[in-house]
Amino acid sequence: MSIELKYPTEVERFLPEIIKRNYGKWKERKFHGSGIIEHISETGERVFTIKVALPPNARVSADTLEKFADIADKYGVGALRITVAGNVEFITDSLEKAQKIKEEVEKMGFPVGGWRGAMWGINTCTAFLTCQIGVVDAPSIGKALGDALKPYFTGEIPLPAKLRIFISGCPSGCAGGTATDIAIVGMWGAPPKIREEVLPLCMPPPKALAKIPESQIFLVQVCPTGALTLRRQDGQIKLVLVGEKCINCGRCKDNCDAFDYDPKDVGVAILVGGRMSNSGGGPRLARNLIPWLPANPPRYEEIVAVVKQVVEVWRQNAKPGERLADFIDRIGWAKFLDLVGVPRPIAEYMWMPDIARTYLTYRARGEYIFKGFRDAI
Amino acid sequence: MAAPPGLPPPEKLLEKADEYLAELEKGPWPSHVSELKKTGYPVRVYGVGLVARKSPWGPSAVKAKRLTGVLARIARDWVPGGGEEVHFRVFHTPGRFLPTDYLRKIIQISREYGVGLIEAVGQTGAMVINVKSKDLGDKMIDTLREIGTDVGGSGDAIRELNACVGPALCEFALYDTLNWLVAFRKDKRVHDATAVPGYPYKFKIKLSGCPMDCARANRGDIGFIGVWKGAPEVDQELLRKKIENGEVDPEKLVANCPSGAISWDPAKKELKIDGARCKKSMHCIRAAFPAIKPGKEKRVAVVVGGGSKGRYGPKLGWFIGFLKPDEVDKAIDVTFKVIKPWDEEAQAKYRLGDYILMEGLYRFIEKAGISLEDTPKYVEKLPDNVPYRVLPEEERKKFAEFAEKVKQLVRV
Ligand code: SF4
Repeated sequence: MSIELKYPTEVERFLPEIIKRNYGKWKERKFHGSGIIEHISETGERVFTIKVALPPNARVSADTLEKFADIADKYGVGALRITVAGNVEFITDSLEKAQKIKEEVEKMGFPVGGWRGAMWGINTCTAFLTCQIGVVDAPSIGKALGDALKPYFTGEIPLPAKLRIFISGCPSGCAGGTATDIAIVGMWGAPPKIREEVLPLCMPPPKALAKIPESQIFLVQVCPTGALTLRRQDGQIKLVLVGEKCINCGRCKDNCDAFDYDPKDVGVAILVGGRMSNSGGGPRLARNLIPWLPANPPRYEEIVAVVKQVVEVWRQNAKPGERLADFIDRIGWAKFLDLVGVPRPIAEYMWMPDIARTYLTYRARGEYIFKGFRDAI
Repeated sequence: MAAPPGLPPPEKLLEKADEYLAELEKGPWPSHVSELKKTGYPVRVYGVGLVARKSPWGPSAVKAKRLTGVLARIARDWVPGGGEEVHFRVFHTPGRFLPTDYLRKIIQISREYGVGLIEAVGQTGAMVINVKSKDLGDKMIDTLREIGTDVGGSGDAIRELNACVGPALCEFALYDTLNWLVAFRKDKRVHDATAVPGYPYKFKIKLSGCPMDCARANRGDIGFIGVWKGAPEVDQELLRKKIENGEVDPEKLVANCPSGAISWDPAKKELKIDGARCKKSMHCIRAAFPAIKPGKEKRVAVVVGGGSKGRYGPKLGWFIGFLKPDEVDKAIDVTFKVIKPWDEEAQAKYRLGDYILMEGLYRFIEKAGISLEDTPKYVEKLPDNVPYRVLPEEERKKFAEFAEKVKQLVRV
């Protein structure tokens, strides 16, 4: 089958004139306070970019976007840019206009900031706004955190280096995985419960079930730890969940609506010290600092307090330019836990090689997989 | 999902929901609730979810011309009043530049066929537009196509591609990420794999212009990252000027280099960088640009197997070789070489990285038939050594042949 898609492919069509003239010719950048960056081209032209925070999950109304467009037409070069972190950038050609834009958007209630030693933004997944498997609501956590951390974004309180925060509503990590300075990830807290009445939708019919080898059953395949298995009982075959093996990864729920959880167990894990960039010690995944915290809407005091504590520990003790990951490396994990005041870290989160954390601890059945894995790292 | 236990009666529930929503409109950070309230989005459903501490949405379906990029949800039966949420993933423009004339068209479409709500950038990198009702879906798709974009990228398909801003607005870009993005989009194979889902799981392609990796290429199923070989280029004259002006501190450059590749000769006022040790961290370049620039021998590093979902949890990519900045066609070929064994052999819901873990990186490289510049040939990091093993016949043969060759060389 072939369906014709129409991609926006003309680079030229979408670039503002001034960018087109200087494409690939940039040679210098300067910062003008927090949130305004100047790029200088070989041609002598200058472009000013103003970074503005959007609401959690980058959800904006058509009305607000229209006002942005008006500002971009009046003071900018008639274009905006959306960043992957969910900020919007205005582009203009003079510092005065840049300041004007800053004023205008701040009047609308959108803070300007980011870049260099600051919080670059808070990314959240959609969670309860759209998602059917979200465990906690990421956008409202994002809002509560944003309210508390705004001075770190706008530069009122400078940070040692860049800080990115991602909030994902469940272990799927849609907000950008765990390769970030601080990642907050929704956790079910307890193994899921199977809703028997929905399960048949995801399983082969009983007659077929008796004939298919267990390893070929989709839900069994999908569970990485072997927590989901088939059990024969009084001549019947049933899917059962072995609670002790479950790691709350959510893969089963991802693939079948029959898995449910009790809201009273739900919380978040806090991971720290990941990053994408090759600076310092290179890219890496974050480590689990706190495996579970309660998530209490709408203000999430517990989460906000812990995140603020982590940021403060880093801010007050790090060297200039040192990202959270490098800071932790320098002082050592144990010292860092002490400074944050974490009560009793769970050992299995600590010694795993980054990539193998889930895998090795809870590795699946069979030698074969393990051998293959050893070749790969 | 079942109704959470202990839910208050409907009126109370809605009252509480309104309370929570109002709370989320306070405070200095921009509020998504305030934005939602300006649109036709069923914000109370969201509020009920917050109170119930459970997602209010359940799966639904929509009939539209598109197989991917179309998602629909319906409120669970315990949500008073109910509600519907249908949204489309719309391809972003290269570099996510939105000229206002184009943006205004999007706004108009969102008002006409949608609820007036736009997710400026979804987590897949696409723009997400909410649709007013299921029947308007096709009309919206047609109008989007008229302005030159489309709906797509969900399910087990190639997702919306992601490239950093690159040469358009960044002096560090080492190859033209935006034109690479366009070349990928124009390729028929990419196009087909985006339109029709058929892989074991999703597949993400990401393009970053430099090792700072703004497009998070290291987390894509396949990522392309601009790098250079050897040492960064140093313009000693310019650097001395910068040092004199107090813009750059040479001691700091030395101290901050994570690989210890930099040395400063105070007598000659010269900075030396050892290319073999340089880890391409961008530290010195960012501190002293343009006196220190990326090296002349530019390359694009190919990494595969990253991602945050998948059977074995979050992973970063593995390096499988270099391309040259003009070899975008080869990059597309490599992409499909990488996809082939995974598509054929991996179990359902295995990301490429999971498959590579199963196979072992080196067997995977062999199976995919990848041979690029500097494709790794040996296992560099051995967890621990198992000295004995039963080898299959063909492997024994390979070693016998090897011994023959060595015998010729050393003449025993
Ligand atoms: S898939 Fe994950 S969450 Fe589901 S039973 Fe298995 S381990 Fe538990």
